[in-house]
Parts: sequence; structure tokens; C-alpha cells
Amino acid sequence: MNLNIAITGLHATDNPAPGIGVIRCLLHDENWNGKIIGLGYDVYDTGIYDKGLLDHTYLIPYPNQGVDQLLERIQYIHHHIPIDVIIPTLDSELAIFQRIKQNLKDMGISMFIPSKEIVNKRSKQNLVSFCEEAKISTPKTVVIHEQGQFQKAIDEIGFPLFVKGVFYDAYKCKNISDTSHYFDEFRKKWGFPVLLQKPVNGKEYNVCCVGGVDGELLGSVAIRKVGLTDKGKAWSAITIRNEKLTEFSKKILKKLKWNGPCELEIMVEERTGELFLLEINPRFPAWIYLCTGADQNLPKLVVDLALGKKVSALPLAKSGITFVRHATDMVCPLDYIENLTIKGELHY
Amino acid sequence: MELQFKSELTISESGFLFDHSTGLTYTLNSTGQFIFRKIQDKQNAMHILNFVMQEFDVSEETAHKDLDDFVRQLKEFDLVSR
Repeated sequence: MNLNIAITGLHATDNPAPGIGVIRCLLHDENWNGKIIGLGYDVYDTGIYDKGLLDHTYLIPYPNQGVDQLLERIQYIHHHIPIDVIIPTLDSELAIFQRIKQNLKDMGISMFIPSKEIVNKRSKQNLVSFCEEAKISTPKTVVIHEQGQFQKAIDEIGFPLFVKGVFYDAYKCKNISDTSHYFDEFRKKWGFPVLLQKPVNGKEYNVCCVGGVDGELLGSVAIRKVGLTDKGKAWSAITIRNEKLTEFSKKILKKLKWNGPCELEIMVEERTGELFLLEINPRFPAWIYLCTGADQNLPKLVVDLALGKKVSALPLAKSGITFVRHATDMVCPLDYIENLTIKGELHY
Repeated sequence: MELQFKSELTISESGFLFDHSTGLTYTLNSTGQFIFRKIQDKQNAMHILNFVMQEFDVSEETAHKDLDDFVRQLKEFDLVSR
């Protein structure tokens, strides 16, 4: 592959963004012969200093700075290093990349991401209605849009319950005092809606999927998390082969017509064996590099789809492949930081 | 009566057992490994009992207890149906 591919989401601390994993997948391809352009938001985004993975690094404006600034910056980068494909890997930037998708296409830059309408269907506040419509099981959830609905929602769900913010995080609560505390915390942080959800007793599995143009499942890797950080993020995991999970994933992607990468969070209820969809993350997971060990290079598949290549569904992923995340330190000279601070770019 | 595993299971030479559908792993001692392989070979419970008595040179009562204990644990872990 002789391509220039730009990737976002390069800040990799104890809750790593997926970008570095995506890059490692692309470099893993034996036919890889391109350049990797890292798109960072901050001088101290950790991954932008990994000269073993990146060829060029550019800082780009945060999504809240608007479409024009982002487009202008990408035009500048594209003028110096022509970009073939951009892979956005963060939830928070998906909306702005959707808005400039056509502008990028006109510039000769491809992406393979689902539309705003499709992404909105799986948002936390819309997931229940999507699941009802598509006949997909999901835990009982009440979406609270105003303070007055709080008590009624508790009565409806009962204890224990999860309080969930509209963007991130969930806390399990056994009483009214804990529930009020986290409800207020989410309300102050992100505003309404706040969600209350009934827990499902069972095992959680995560499935990284890539949906094709019509939402057909082209590749999927399912894992069980083995080690978790205190934030509940996977620190180690093992791939599994489970037909029920694959069929469930197929159904979800098809019903959504999901075209692009995503991560499904699924609970298998211990008592009944029933599958419940917890969440759909509209991007690759941070553990995506594991997919190469399972013989499914899903980022490469997304690049092929972005370029409009005809692709077939990948063979089933290998089970029993494990990853263990290992933190390391990178050492770099002062001029790396100087270049990024002064010019907003760095070339290795 | 024939025992059947519910999902695809792989066991290594050292007795490390992997359930492909859940990602869970287990460690089996030599008796467990022996019985596990007999179940994989689709032997029925009566035959397995006789094999255990011969292999480990134990009484029928001991073999019965070992087999029952092992099957109970397989059921607890939801690995086997009967």
C-alpha cells in the first residue's frame, strides 16, 4: 500500500485513544509501503512523539473551534503531504468530520464513516428506541431529560441501578443517596439527559466490527476483558469465537446500516444466556491492535473501503489470542516539542 | 449416559483448558485431564468410570467420587450438558 494515511486520537495514557493501535495495525500489513501522518490536538498528546510509528505529525484544532479552522488546517497539511485517507478515531470529533466529508472528498481525501443520522441512532439517549424498533434486547433504561423525572425514573428501574452520563462513565448505585450524587455530577458536567439503567447479571463481551456500505458485517473480533484499570478500561483481553455474538453483531450492524468501524458492548445474561446490547462506540476500540493477532486487520479493511475497493467479508477471527497492555516511556529531544509548539508540526 | 460439552473447548498437554466461546480458562489436574479426554472421545459415564479405575488403580467407590466431583464442577462452570 503506497498511501498517506492520517490518523487522529493519539493520546495514549491510562485511558488510551485508539489512534496508536490503528497505526500499528496498518504497519502490520505486509504490503504496507505508505506514510503515517499523526493528527494531534495538543503538544503533549503522547503518541505524536512515537517516531517509530509516525512519519509526520501535525496539530489540528479541537472540534469546538469549528469546521472552517479544521478544514483550513487539513488543506495546509494536504498541500505539503497529500493525504489519501483520514481515519478519525474519537467519538468527540466524528460529527465535525461528517460535516467536512464532502469537502475532503473534493480534495481527494477519503474516509469511511457512517452518517450523522446513523451515528445518532446509537447515541445513549436514542439506543433504547432503536433497540425496540429493531427487536434487539437492551437493559431497561430510563432517559431523564429534566430534574422532575428523577424520582419516577428510580421507581421504574429500582435498585441496584447504573447512573450513566450522556457521553462517558457509569456508576452502579444501590441507594438513593449514591444515585442522587452521581446524577447531580453528570447533570453538572454534561447537562441532561442522564440515564438510569437496570444492570444485567452476566458476562460482558466487546466486539470490534466493521460494517460495509449497506451495514453488512465484513469483519469482527470479539473479546472478553481479562484485566481492567480502575476506570474499567481493558488492560488485557482474550479473543473468543462465539456464534451467538457474531449473529447478534450482524443483526445490529444490518439494522443500523452501519458503514464503518465500531465497538459493541454486549452482556450475556447468566441465567438465560440472552444477549443485551449495552452500547455502541462509533469508532475503533483502543485494543484494536489485538485484531492483527486474530488475523483480522480491521483498520486495513476500513482503508480499503474508504478507497472504494471491493472487499469481501474476512474469515472468522482466531480465538485464544491475548493482549497485555504495557506502558513505556519515550525519550525525545527538546526540538520535537519546540517544532510542535512553534510550527504545530514535526517530521521524522 | 453420554456427557457432552456445550461449547468448543481446547486442552493443552499441561491441562490448561480454554473455552473458545467465553474466553474463560481452567486448570485441570491429571485425573481431570484424563476424564476430560474420555468425554471428548464420547465415552459414556459407565465406560469412563471403568477407565478411571484401571488408569489410577482405585476402587469403584473412589472412581465414582472422582468422576461425580469432576462432572459437578463441569456443570457448575456450565461447560457440560447431560
